Amino acid sequence: MTSLIAIGAGIAALTGIGAGIGIGLATSKAVEAIARQPEAESKISKNLLLGCALAEGTAIFGFVVGLLIVVMLG
Amino acid sequence: MDDLHKNIVLFLCNIVNKNIDFRRQKSKIKKSKNWSYRLGKQKGGSETNSLTEVLKEELNCRTVFTIPIGNGIPVFESVVVTWVIMAVLVVLSLILTRNLTVMNPGKKQLLLEAGIDALRKFFRGILGEEGDRYIPYMMTVIIFLGVSNVSGIFGVKPPTKDLNVTLALALMSMFLIEYCGIYKKGLKGFFKSFLDPIPVMLPMNIMEVFIRPTALCFRLFGNILGGFVVMALVEFVCPAILPIPFSLYFDFFDGFIQAYIFVFLTSMFMSETME
Repeated sequence: MTSLIAIGAGIAALTGIGAGIGIGLATSKAVEAIARQPEAESKISKNLLLGCALAEGTAIFGFVVGLLIVVMLG
Repeated sequence: MDDLHKNIVLFLCNIVNKNIDFRRQKSKIKKSKNWSYRLGKQKGGSETNSLTEVLKEELNCRTVFTIPIGNGIPVFESVVVTWVIMAVLVVLSLILTRNLTVMNPGKKQLLLEAGIDALRKFFRGILGEEGDRYIPYMMTVIIFLGVSNVSGIFGVKPPTKDLNVTLALALMSMFLIEYCGIYKKGLKGFFKSFLDPIPVMLPMNIMEVFIRPTALCFRLFGNILGGFVVMALVEFVCPAILPIPFSLYFDFFDGFIQAYIFVFLTSMFMSETME
């Protein structure tokens, strides 16, 4: 039973994959854009921050779900 | 080589377990109102139990005292910390705004003006000219969130680590978002905007009203709680020097970024609704 709970929490933590890929892609594009147009840096970084926050949300939900699994069932 | 690794891991596990046991002993007294405690009997083996105890301890919000009205209204730790932060902010703003002059402003006033101006410009850039009436509220929220996210370094539990606090803030944001839509477009125009861009999107638009505050609330809560749990684990393993860089990242950087993102997203949604 315990190991099953641990596996469930681990699966919930897999949401980090999507967030990692998303933030990586966003950052790479932002760096490209800044290299192409350095004067637009403030606008680009503002949008990058917004996108990163939204992408990171999925990872946070995974974390919260994992935490709840461990606390409620463990 | 493998033996060495195993020994190090065992050693770390021992330290962690000892600390957890110590903490459990300490916290048993305060555990009368633990919400997760009431949820039922413990299941699972003894290995995860100590970790579970730590997580529960972090999730748990202690009752400080009870107001004796009716059945008694419990006042939680996060509320008291919020009161303290409110008092500090009110006193600070009273002190800082005293003796303001138009001619020959002092260093203090120049610094204050620069800060307020930067914040105002930031919100003006997102909300536009019509959003001026919401700027004082947004500034209050960002200052409160910034202080309360960082308050973990003073040894108190940051109030934003409590789900109820972030939920209340997110609900306030939700009502403000819908209110500014109604104020701008009128009641009819507001309800008509649910059919944008095509009527098929109606369920999506209605769901969005509730998804926005949920996302705001859980993002703030999860980030602060995650940072807090990681900090607690780091302090178990090595309480001396190692926590300093972690604290710089989790308390300061993450705290300010999350406060910034909360108001940024709220004002983004507001300008979206006002369009």
